[in-house]
Amino acid sequence: MNISPVHYIALPLLAAFLIPLLSKLHKELARIVPGLVFLYFLVISVVLMQRLETQPMISEVIAGWSAPWGINLVFTPFSGFLVSLMSFIGFLVWVYSYHFKKIDYMPAQKYFILLMMLVTGSIGIVLTGDIFNLFVFLEIVAISAYSLTAFYPGRDGAEAAFKYLLVGSFASALILLAIVILYTQTGTLNMADLAVKMHEVPHYLKVIIFVLFLVGFGIEAEMFPLNGWAPDAYSQAPGPIGAVFAGIVVKGGIYALVRVVYTIFDLSGVGTILIALGLVTMIIAELAALRQDNLKRMLAYSSIGQMGVVLIAFGIGTDTAIFAALFLMLNHALIKSMLFFSASYLLYNSTTKTIKELTGMAKHLPFVSFIFALGAFAIVGLPPFSGFWSKLYFLMAAADAQMVLLIITVLSVSVIEIIYYFRVIGKIYSKDETSELEPKKPTINSVLVMTVLGALIIIIGVYPDLVTDWIHHASDALVNKSNYIQNVLTENLPR
Amino acid sequence: MDFDFQNIVTISVYGSAIALILIGIYAVLIKKHLIKIVIGMSLVDAGLHLLFVAIGYINNGTAPIFSPGYEDAATNMVDPVPQALVLTAIVIGFAVTAVALSLVIRLYKHHGTVRIDEIKSLKW
Repeated sequence: MNISPVHYIALPLLAAFLIPLLSKLHKELARIVPGLVFLYFLVISVVLMQRLETQPMISEVIAGWSAPWGINLVFTPFSGFLVSLMSFIGFLVWVYSYHFKKIDYMPAQKYFILLMMLVTGSIGIVLTGDIFNLFVFLEIVAISAYSLTAFYPGRDGAEAAFKYLLVGSFASALILLAIVILYTQTGTLNMADLAVKMHEVPHYLKVIIFVLFLVGFGIEAEMFPLNGWAPDAYSQAPGPIGAVFAGIVVKGGIYALVRVVYTIFDLSGVGTILIALGLVTMIIAELAALRQDNLKRMLAYSSIGQMGVVLIAFGIGTDTAIFAALFLMLNHALIKSMLFFSASYLLYNSTTKTIKELTGMAKHLPFVSFIFALGAFAIVGLPPFSGFWSKLYFLMAAADAQMVLLIITVLSVSVIEIIYYFRVIGKIYSKDETSELEPKKPTINSVLVMTVLGALIIIIGVYPDLVTDWIHHASDALVNKSNYIQNVLTENLPR
Repeated sequence: MDFDFQNIVTISVYGSAIALILIGIYAVLIKKHLIKIVIGMSLVDAGLHLLFVAIGYINNGTAPIFSPGYEDAATNMVDPVPQALVLTAIVIGFAVTAVALSLVIRLYKHHGTVRIDEIKSLKW
């Protein structure tokens, strides 16, 4: 069989329709089929990444209409990097939540279908070369995310989901409006073609379109002040979905923003706007995280703060900065999902989900507590772990750009980060009293997943060279805009 | 400027599209009733769709289909792309509205009210 990027989208959509039928044959199939899909994602990622060694990018034409007219999927080293990361996290989430709702299978079936759609939509955002198609995938992500946020009827999920939906539909209206204006001005929807024709657009319209896109995608990328949905959604959705939001969905939003900024637009001063927004996002989010007594909300705010750092790095825009941004994204996906995985076991039987209740939890759940501590050390950027390298590269990029004030701010915000993470670790390892919570023994699957993530974080921390080549290719592909345009528009004649 | 029929139609289509968007935004921002907020969201969507279709429209244009007898159709064809996009956008809007309404039902069952100012277990 000829493996192509289309499989990333076609296969899970087919599987999502088949799962309700297959689970009539055997209930276990509703759990197994999504796992097979994720496993296949990993196989395609490996095969396609190897194919990229010999050619600059894979551009797949859909339905025989070549690039500016039809929809195409573009697999560059940059999108390949994100797609592989998303597939990997998706697979881990599946392994982790394999026993989700073991007794009644109807909720489990819905959960797995929605999980698959969430991952597929995010991968679609990254792969597509067509701006309207990107909007469609964004909506696939959004609708599955709303449903998953409201998954538990007993909690305040519906309220969080409704807030998310209000903000999200506002975002999609803005993005649609931006696409409409863009189409009237250029007459094309293909992103490479748009980049070529962008100079025909009057400057004031360019600014309007850019602001519409920035606000629209900024909501998905958790940019301040558009991230009010995030803490509620993270804390109300089922535990593993927090990892999906942090590891996969946000990356899709950031990708869309970056693709628009770096490929379509050539406005000057965009970098400064991104740096400013990133700084405000980071500072406000980390201060909010410091104030939280709910662990999941704290993790959500920390995640927003990390995205702020990524935005700053993309704003600086030098080669080292983009490299640092991608490294930060990789680390955030690995570490934050590990934190969410372990936090959902720590909080398993807690009704209030507060940090206070975790006092002395390490005695009941030594392994999970250890993993949480490891994740906390890694995310604040302590040396033996992978988070250290991405922060170091980020600071080096900022130093190259001679932004001393920026370095000072980021470092002082890191201190805040250390304070609130270590406060939680201190509570967990406190010897004074023991938690009254009934501990929930982690399943073998989740132990396996957390071990794999923990090992990866340490391995990347000790041998960062394992991933730097990969990230270098990805950042080169993002920076090299003319290469992208040329490859999409000329080298894929219809077969 | 001559006020012929086509001009009036064009102006009223664009005008109603913008009016729909504004009414929708007003409903989402001001109204406290959840169902009215959902209606406002659909109105914004509908306005955008109307705007998009209006942009692709050409006076006295033909359907974008090549058929015997209309070989010169390409000169004044209505742009088919906005229509295709709007069809997609309508389906998406339908799905979002359905999810929103089901969330309203869930909220009503949980809180016993559909007024947004009476539901505040989560803070912003």
